[in-house]
Amino acid sequence: MIKYPLRVTILCVGVGLIALGCFIALAIVEGFPDLVAIAVLSALALYAGNRAVDFPDGTKFSAGFMIEAAAVVAFTAAGSLLGSLIVGMFCGLSIANLRDRDWRRVSFNVGNFGLATLAAAVVFALFPSSWMNSPPLLIAAAILLTAVFFVVNDGLVAVVLSMMTGEPVASTAREMASSTFQSLPFAILGVFLGRLYLDVGVVIVPLFVVPIFVAREIFASYVALKRSHDDTVRILIGALETKDKYTAGHAERVAMFANYIGLELGLAPKRLERLRLAALMHDVGKLVVPNHLLNKPGRLTEAEFAQVRLHESVSAEILTRIDFLAPVAPSALSEYTRFSPVADEKGQPIEPHIVAVADAFDAMTSTRSYRKALSQSTAFRELRENAGKQFHPRVVDALIVAIEIRHEEYGAGHEAQVHDFAVEPPAAGLGSAGLGDLLAEESGRDSDSPEVTAT
Amino acid sequence: MSQIQRTIATASVITVGLACFAVGTGLASTTFTIAVLAAAMLVGELLELRPPERAAVPLSYAVVLMLLRAASPGEFLVAVIAVELGAFVLRPAPNVATRAELFAQRIIAAAVALGLYQLVISVADSQSKQIVLGALALAGIGELLVDEVVFSLQTRRLDLSWRGRSGELALVTSGMLMAVGYAGLEGKGGIGLWALLLFSVPLLAAWYSFERLAVIRRTYTQTLQALSIVPELGGLVREGHAERVAVLALEMGRDLSLDPRELEYLEAASLLHHLGHVCLDDPSVLGRPVDPSEVAQASAAMLRQAQFLAPAAELLSPDPLPFGGGSRSQTSVSGQVLRVASAFDELSEGGDARSLDGAVEVLYSGPGYVYDPRVLAALERVLERRSLVPAAL
Repeated sequence: MIKYPLRVTILCVGVGLIALGCFIALAIVEGFPDLVAIAVLSALALYAGNRAVDFPDGTKFSAGFMIEAAAVVAFTAAGSLLGSLIVGMFCGLSIANLRDRDWRRVSFNVGNFGLATLAAAVVFALFPSSWMNSPPLLIAAAILLTAVFFVVNDGLVAVVLSMMTGEPVASTAREMASSTFQSLPFAILGVFLGRLYLDVGVVIVPLFVVPIFVAREIFASYVALKRSHDDTVRILIGALETKDKYTAGHAERVAMFANYIGLELGLAPKRLERLRLAALMHDVGKLVVPNHLLNKPGRLTEAEFAQVRLHESVSAEILTRIDFLAPVAPSALSEYTRFSPVADEKGQPIEPHIVAVADAFDAMTSTRSYRKALSQSTAFRELRENAGKQFHPRVVDALIVAIEIRHEEYGAGHEAQVHDFAVEPPAAGLGSAGLGDLLAEESGRDSDSPEVTAT
Repeated sequence: MSQIQRTIATASVITVGLACFAVGTGLASTTFTIAVLAAAMLVGELLELRPPERAAVPLSYAVVLMLLRAASPGEFLVAVIAVELGAFVLRPAPNVATRAELFAQRIIAAAVALGLYQLVISVADSQSKQIVLGALALAGIGELLVDEVVFSLQTRRLDLSWRGRSGELALVTSGMLMAVGYAGLEGKGGIGLWALLLFSVPLLAAWYSFERLAVIRRTYTQTLQALSIVPELGGLVREGHAERVAVLALEMGRDLSLDPRELEYLEAASLLHHLGHVCLDDPSVLGRPVDPSEVAQASAAMLRQAQFLAPAAELLSPDPLPFGGGSRSQTSVSGQVLRVASAFDELSEGGDARSLDGAVEVLYSGPGYVYDPRVLAALERVLERRSLVPAAL
C-alpha cells in the first residue's frame, strides 16, 4: 500500500467532500433529474471508466469521457446540473481502488471527475440553446467542454502528483496535456449522443455505445495478443542467453539501438515495430549452434566455423516464415548487410543495415569471452571508419547522433553487467581467439581491411 | 502505398469532401445526398471487417441502412447498382468470376434489406420510433443473413452461434445509428449528412482494431511455427515433426471435445515441445538417444517464462509416468494427447498404412501401459477418418 503524505490525504478527502457538498446542494435546489437517464448514463460511465485500454506505450484510453460529454449536453438542456455531477462521479469510481480499500483514491477520483464534469456543465449552460441545432456549433462546444474538463481534472491530478513526487505542478500538468487531445473525438461523439438522447430517447444509447465498445474489446484483445507475442519472442532471447552468457541483454540492446536509429531516420510506426522484432530475433539461429562451440575459448576449426556460420541462414529462414518480418529477413545475413552503394540506390530496405550497425555497436561496447568492452569513442571511430564500406553511412550517422542527443554512454566502464574472469581477457583490440574475431577475419579477407563484425 | 490503399484514400477524400461541401453550403438536395452516400458505400465496399474465423463483412452494409432512410426505393436500387458496378471494377479480387459473384451477392443483400425494410414499414403503416428501428434492424440482419448463407454454402459449414459476431453487431448498430442520425425519429433529431461523418468514426475504429488483431494473430501463429522448426534446423528432430504433431494433436483434441482455450494451448505446446532440446548442454544429434524427460523439462521451463504460454508448459509432463493409478490426476487430457501424438509420429516414421497400424499397436502394448486408452481411441478415430479422406494425409 502506498504511503500518502498528510496533505495529500487532506486534499483527497477535501475533493471528495466538495463534490458531496455540491451533490447535496444541487439535490436540494433543483431536485433529481430523469431517473432513467441517470441510471443508464451512470451505469455506462461506471463501465467505461473501469474498462480503459492500456496502450503499449503506457497511456490509457477510456470511452468514459464520451458518456460524460453526453451527460453534460442531455442534462444541462433539461435544466439539471446534478445529472452531470452524478455521471461524472460514477465515471471516476474505480472498482480496483474499491477492492484495494484505497479510500483516499476513491474519494479523490470520484470527487475530481464529478467536479470536472460539473464545471463543464456550468460552462455549457452559458451557451445559447440555439447551439443545439447546429452541428458545427456543437462540435465547437465539445472542444470547449474538453478544455474546461481537463483544466479542472488535470489541474487537480497535477497538484496531487506534484505533492507526491515533489516536481513542480506546471511541468506535471504539461506532461498530461498531450493526452487530453486524444479524448477530443470522444467528446465530439458524446455531445451528439447527448443531443440525440434528448430528441430520440434512451433507445439511441445502445446504438451508440455498442460499436464503440466492440472497437474497444477488439483493440484490447489486439493489445493482449501483442503482449503474448512479445513474451514468446522473449522466450527465444532467454534461451539464447542461457547458451551464451556473454550475450545477456544483447538482443534487447540491439533492439533499443535499432529503435534509436529508426526514430532518427523517421521510420513509420509499422516499420519501427518490424525493425524492433527483427532486431530482437536477428540471432535466433544461434539456438541451433551447439553450446560448446559458442563458448569455445580457443580457435574454431574450419568445420566448426562453418557450423557456427550456419546460424545466420537459420535466423533468416525463421524470419522469412513470419510474413510480418519477411521483408527484413536479410537482417540476419552479414553478407547482405554489407553496405553497397549500388544496392542502396535500388531502394532495398534499410532495416537490415540498421540491425547490422546496432549489432556491431553493441558487440563492440560489450565484454565478450575473448576481449573486454571497447570504449564508446573507439566504437564510434570504428563505425565511422567503416561507414560506406561495411556499414551504411546514413545509419552510422543516425546512431551516433541519436546516442549523443540522449547524452548516453555505453562501452568500457558503462556496462550493465560486470563479468568475472579467471584469466582477464585483453583490454583493447579485437583479441586473438573466439568467434567474433574469426568472423572479423573472414570478412576481412574479402576487403583487405581490418573490420569489426558482430557475432 | 498499394493500389487498393490509394483507391480507398481517394474515394474517402471525395466522400468527406462532398459531405463537407453539402453540410457547409446547405445544399443537401436528395440527389446530392444520395451521391455522397454512394461514394461512402463504395469506400465501405473496399473496407471489410475481418473477424477471426468468420466471414468478412463490408462496411458498406452500414451505409445501406442510411441509404434506406435517405432514398426512395427506386433511387436506392439505382445507387446500389452504380456502387456495385464501381466496386466490381475497383475490387482487388483476383478474377472476374469472384468479382461477379460478389457483385451478385451484394445486390441480393441490398435488395433483401430494402425488401424487409419496406415490408415492415408498409405492413405496420407507420413511421413510429419502434417500427423504424425494428425495420432497420431487420434490414441489417437480412444483409448479414445473405452473407451467412453464401459463406456456409462455400465452406459447407453452418455456424449460427453468437461467438465471434461482435463485428457484425457493431456493423448493424452503426448502420442503424447513421440511419437514425440522418433523418431522426418521428421527425426529431435529424442531423443529415453529419451523421455519416460523425458516426462512421466508431465503425472505422472497430475496423482498424480488427485489422490490427488479424495481423498480430497471423504473426503470433507464424512465430510459434517458426520456433517449432528450430530443433529441426539444428538436426535434432526429424523434419516436420512439430508441425505434424500439432496437426494430429489438434484433430485428437477436437475429437475429445476440448474447449477452444485448451486447443490453443495444446497447439502451442505441440509446436514447441522439442524447443528445450536446443538449450541442453550437449544436444545430441538425430539418431542418438537423449533423455526425453530432460527435453520436456527444458521446453516447459522455456514456455513458463511467457505468461500466455505458462498453461501450455503444464502439458509437457517432465516424467512420463505410466498411465493409470496415481498418474491419472497428474497428466491432463491435453497432456496425454500431446504425448500420444508425439509418440505416434516418432513410431510411424514411414507414414504408410502398415506402419501406422503398427505404431498404434505399439502404443497400445507400450511398456507398463503408458498411454490413456481414451486418448488412444481418439487417435484411432482420427486415423480412420484420415484414411477415408486420403488427401488429408
